[in-house]
Amino acid sequence: MKGITKSLLSALLGTSLLVGCSSGASTPSGTAETPETNTAAPAESAGEFTAKIGGVFILSGSSAAYGEAQKKGLDLALEELNEANKGKLKIEIQYEDTGGKKESAINAVNKLINQDNVVAIIGPTLSGEMLAAGPVANEAETPIFGISNTVEGINDIGEYVFRNSLPESIAVPTAMKKAIENKGYKTAAFIYAENDDFSVSGFQTMKATAEKMGLENLGETTFSIGDVDFSAQLTKIKQLNPDVLLVSALYKEGSMVVKKARELGINSVIVGGNGFNNPKVFEIAGPAAEGLIVATPFSPEKQDEKVQNFVKAFEAKYGSKPDQFAAQAYDSLYIMSQSLLGAGKADRNALRDELAKLKDFEGVSGKLSFDEGRNPIGEAVVVEAKDGKFVPFE
Amino acid sequence: MEWLNPYNIQVVTFIILNCILAISIFITLATGQLSLGHAGFMSIGAYTTSILSKNADLPMFVAIIAGALMAGLIALLIGAPTLKLHGLYLAIATLGFGEVVRVILLNMEITNGALGITGLKSLGTYIYDGMKAVGITSQSLGLSVPVIKSLSTLVFLFLLFLVVLFLTLRLNSSRLGRAFEAIRADETAARAMGIQVNYYKMLAFIIGSVLAGLCGGLFAHITTAITPTDFNYHKVVEILSFAVIGGTEVVWGALFGAVALTALPEVLRGLAEYKMIFYGAIMVLVMAVRPRGLIGSDTLQKLFRRGSKKQNEQPKGVE
Repeated sequence: MKGITKSLLSALLGTSLLVGCSSGASTPSGTAETPETNTAAPAESAGEFTAKIGGVFILSGSSAAYGEAQKKGLDLALEELNEANKGKLKIEIQYEDTGGKKESAINAVNKLINQDNVVAIIGPTLSGEMLAAGPVANEAETPIFGISNTVEGINDIGEYVFRNSLPESIAVPTAMKKAIENKGYKTAAFIYAENDDFSVSGFQTMKATAEKMGLENLGETTFSIGDVDFSAQLTKIKQLNPDVLLVSALYKEGSMVVKKARELGINSVIVGGNGFNNPKVFEIAGPAAEGLIVATPFSPEKQDEKVQNFVKAFEAKYGSKPDQFAAQAYDSLYIMSQSLLGAGKADRNALRDELAKLKDFEGVSGKLSFDEGRNPIGEAVVVEAKDGKFVPFE
Repeated sequence: MEWLNPYNIQVVTFIILNCILAISIFITLATGQLSLGHAGFMSIGAYTTSILSKNADLPMFVAIIAGALMAGLIALLIGAPTLKLHGLYLAIATLGFGEVVRVILLNMEITNGALGITGLKSLGTYIYDGMKAVGITSQSLGLSVPVIKSLSTLVFLFLLFLVVLFLTLRLNSSRLGRAFEAIRADETAARAMGIQVNYYKMLAFIIGSVLAGLCGGLFAHITTAITPTDFNYHKVVEILSFAVIGGTEVVWGALFGAVALTALPEVLRGLAEYKMIFYGAIMVLVMAVRPRGLIGSDTLQKLFRRGSKKQNEQPKGVE
């Protein structure tokens, strides 16, 4: 017994030391002193140069589905770009997993910047992770590019922080305006998940927009992520009988709310937040989803050549349709490559300046520019649930 | 100097923060109380500190101390009714407490609900500003600003950790520590020996909570953003597993657990998706081979009695 324990202990210690050594040894030289990348960067735009980009996503744990979709989108874009830019630019991506944990996101960003010498970082997946890891990248003067961070205040972190994910303050009002305006609706009620930062942020935007549009606020009810019964809240809403019901939640609870609302006979128009951008909505809500209106940056049904080519390539590679997360990841790498080519070298500051100049980028998730605060200016597609899928809303 | 980059420093910083957390759970466990409220106390410390330093503009160190004391105060209130419970019942009561705290934080205006408090000043920036005020800049030290900031955070945390560790070791060999040990061994016997069991249990509970609150305040200013989900059930399990994997008999056990469990995910980063499989497998293996934790009181005795050969190996793992 004694022997086993001891050998186990020493083996454990030994391996951890070994691994520690090897990872330390692979550190490129000069990382600690200079924040600039030491990637060979020929000034002539003729020669090929390599740019290493970090991808920080949730690849394990309960929210891994989001990270996986983002990784797929990036991998597809990587293949296409390295083929198209042969002789000019070669992009490498190094992925790091956060498991949805804030500390892990900070560690991952630190590692990519200081040990792997990436020129920029795409990710992290969650807004909470971005709020913790963004300042780290900003301090190290490395561009960090959010592709799924929709809460307010992300761009306020600093001037190295970018995102192509439309904040709810753009997407939600677009959906509400299109669905509500000129239809004569006068009253609205709200239901949202109170223990989820994403849902609360969405609700705040909905409320502000409703006020601006002159809708009368009949009442607000809340539930928690993880709840399965919403009858009490929805019975109250049924009595209020609003013209429009606004739901801000993640897809799982949101779909159940929609289903229950229709079961209880609520006939209001239902407008959902960004959380509804998921095909699972139809699995959970079934026919009750009919008529649900959502704003999304990306719809695979959109009749646009670029979008359809992307959908086809994605289906050929992975056998499934891309979602919004894959689309925004795909776009982000195209933006990176365009800006890197513009900068002509893999340099963090040059890349930042190029990114800030981005204008009218045509991606699969719509047109994109940045304003002076690096906030994305883009357009959201408003979609309506019809026959088990989201189709552009008319 | 290559190893001196913010990534390595950051990892070690989290290791030391978790070491203090391990001490906090160790002290509570030292009297045989299985408390699952540590994440709750941590969140109280974190939120108190953040609100004081962000909204009330108090100096960061004052805010961190206030956060720790606040956690202690709440522990005093919670401890009175719950510490009469034993074993699993106490565990469930304290677990409930942690959840209640989380729900309160979710619903209060000042804590900003689920969105949490963001944009806090980082500990490194704060210390560096102080250093600049006395004339020490990045040029005079010959290091880049991010390195200095992370390094000063690390040095500060390490000094704090040494103080806490020193006090804990003193505590263990004092009258108090022996009383704790007696209570853990057998509460009834301890009472028969004239030890005021309730008083000592309460004391251990409060010390543990104050330390957890301290860690909360530090955590808030290291990560610069906190949300109630940072202190959910997973955090409780994480803290508890430091002590369970490492061992609950001596403080070195809990510390070793904290070091190993914080470093492993980073060391295993290269394995990417398979990381968690190895992580889990190592935990199962440890529990199967050493059900009372990797380092018990017998381990240390054996190691120190043997020659210097083994001694050289041991402190490395422990520190």
